[in-house]
Amino acid sequence: MTLTAEEILERLKEKLGDAILNYEIKEYKMGVKRPRTYQEIWMEVNKDAFRKAVEAIFEIDYPHLHFIAGEDVGEVIKMIYSFGVFHSHPWGEVSIVMKLDLPKSNLVLPTITDLMIGAETNEREIREMLGIEFEGLKNKRHLFLPDDWPEGKYPWRRDEYGVEDMIKHTHKSVKEIRKQRGEQNG
Amino acid sequence: MAKTTYYVPIGPIHPALKEPIRVEAEVEGEKIVKVNVKRGFAHRGIEYMGMKRNAIQTLYLSERICGICSISHPYAFVIGSEKALGIEAPPRAQYIRTIIAELERIHSHILWLGVIAHEIGFDPLLFWTWKGREKVLDVLEAITGNRINYSMYMIGGVRRDLKESHIKALRDMITYYWEFTEHMKEVFLSDPVYKARTRGVAQLSKEMALKLNVVGPTARAAGLRMDIRQDIPYDAYADMDIKAVVPQDIVGEAGGDAYDITMVRLYEIEQSLDIIEFCLDNLPEGKILAIPNYVALLNKIKKTEGEAIGAHEAPRGEVIHYFKYDGKRDGPAVWKVIAPSYNNINSWAPLLLGAEVADIPVVVAYIDPCMCCNDRVAVVKDSSGRILDYSYLHKKAVEKTRKLEKELGVRK
Repeated sequence: MTLTAEEILERLKEKLGDAILNYEIKEYKMGVKRPRTYQEIWMEVNKDAFRKAVEAIFEIDYPHLHFIAGEDVGEVIKMIYSFGVFHSHPWGEVSIVMKLDLPKSNLVLPTITDLMIGAETNEREIREMLGIEFEGLKNKRHLFLPDDWPEGKYPWRRDEYGVEDMIKHTHKSVKEIRKQRGEQNG
Repeated sequence: MAKTTYYVPIGPIHPALKEPIRVEAEVEGEKIVKVNVKRGFAHRGIEYMGMKRNAIQTLYLSERICGICSISHPYAFVIGSEKALGIEAPPRAQYIRTIIAELERIHSHILWLGVIAHEIGFDPLLFWTWKGREKVLDVLEAITGNRINYSMYMIGGVRRDLKESHIKALRDMITYYWEFTEHMKEVFLSDPVYKARTRGVAQLSKEMALKLNVVGPTARAAGLRMDIRQDIPYDAYADMDIKAVVPQDIVGEAGGDAYDITMVRLYEIEQSLDIIEFCLDNLPEGKILAIPNYVALLNKIKKTEGEAIGAHEAPRGEVIHYFKYDGKRDGPAVWKVIAPSYNNINSWAPLLLGAEVADIPVVVAYIDPCMCCNDRVAVVKDSSGRILDYSYLHKKAVEKTRKLEKELGVRK
């Protein structure tokens, strides 16, 4: 038995209440001869209710994690989680896209790997690319970046922690730059 | 005598892999007792590059993410962009896009069947399947001009139209492949040795598949009816009633092993032929591009704010692209790409644990059906100085097949 996007949203509202800051149901028309619409839920949640929101989604149906992404927008990092519930049903999958703002002063989120082991890859990538710490994540090895990547450099950040200066000095080694700055661990 | 374990690193460059990846296995006798998978050797920062270019440049950049399924990423890209920008592709273009995507599925699946045959020591089967694959590559070349990296898709349509001669070539191809697939089914599914060599190897349960978040044929072989073309259809798929191919519909139950994944792939080739036939029978007339002027398209992108997810079912599983256009630049402000192998490699470690050394090539090929042309692999010595390299592993795999052949009385 599948639920429609509206019904899923009702359930989420019941569980989370004020923690949903705003929401929207996006509709898309697909098909030429037999056009039908399908819906996606886009919502923004309070950072503190993140874990509760994920658990609420897992209660509705064991989802499929599409992706975890993040965007550096100045003071905060916008995290985007996308889950697909009711997959394996014709025309039935509903994407729930959940966004939350993480202030740069406290870049910590609880892990979801205890609910879904497969999320480990995504979390490890976000951790090394944006510098977000996942509480409870067991495997914290680098996924894509080399093991000797300098600490405190995050390729997707657009602030002073980003890699802009590394790109400007690609002809120099990281070691040299650090030596010039007088930093340790060169 | 104390048990000694030895350590077998495979990769980063390995003939059974398209991309460099490293599998470190600890082996006790013939059994694998510990596995560690390392990736990231080919990270090219494509998402970062894409955020610095305009959308049309990024579209062709996305085609270079994968060489074998070079239609999957542009497909997800154009669907996501069209959703974010509110552009609708003309009906004819939607059908042509579907045809090209299905042609790619056929060639990718046949390629994989050849690879798995090679890994277990049936090289004549590899040559035969790859010879059969030439037909679809010829058709792709006739339509798009390229055998790989077709540069066919555009935001709001396609760049080349289907001519009468193409439609004829496609119909010929369909007749050829109905017969060819029938042969392949006979060879792969009823051969006792192939069965003995793949049954129970790389076995993934339905629960494990869900928890590991695997996608595509890997998930379907485990019994999950997951298929983007069925769950959230797009383009011409929305006009058909696509059903995910799962082993329980064919033989009654899902084993989730290398034999079942072969079956899923073989039946999906037939499904693709049906889809192409449907598209040819119902091909609408009309234009093929919503906004033919690229400058006008880029201007529209520059003025539109929006975000969306584009999803496409590639031969190896779902491809997901997330976009955000911020209305200030002519390219995506945020671009996140998830490829099928990103999720499917999660299943390597649990599958390799407890497997035999001779099964490593099968497990590795089972998940990632791509091949690299190099025969360079790290060389390892165990305590007695024996060298374990790729040719050794391959020899082991072939030996096991020959032994089984004798046991089953196929070869004397």
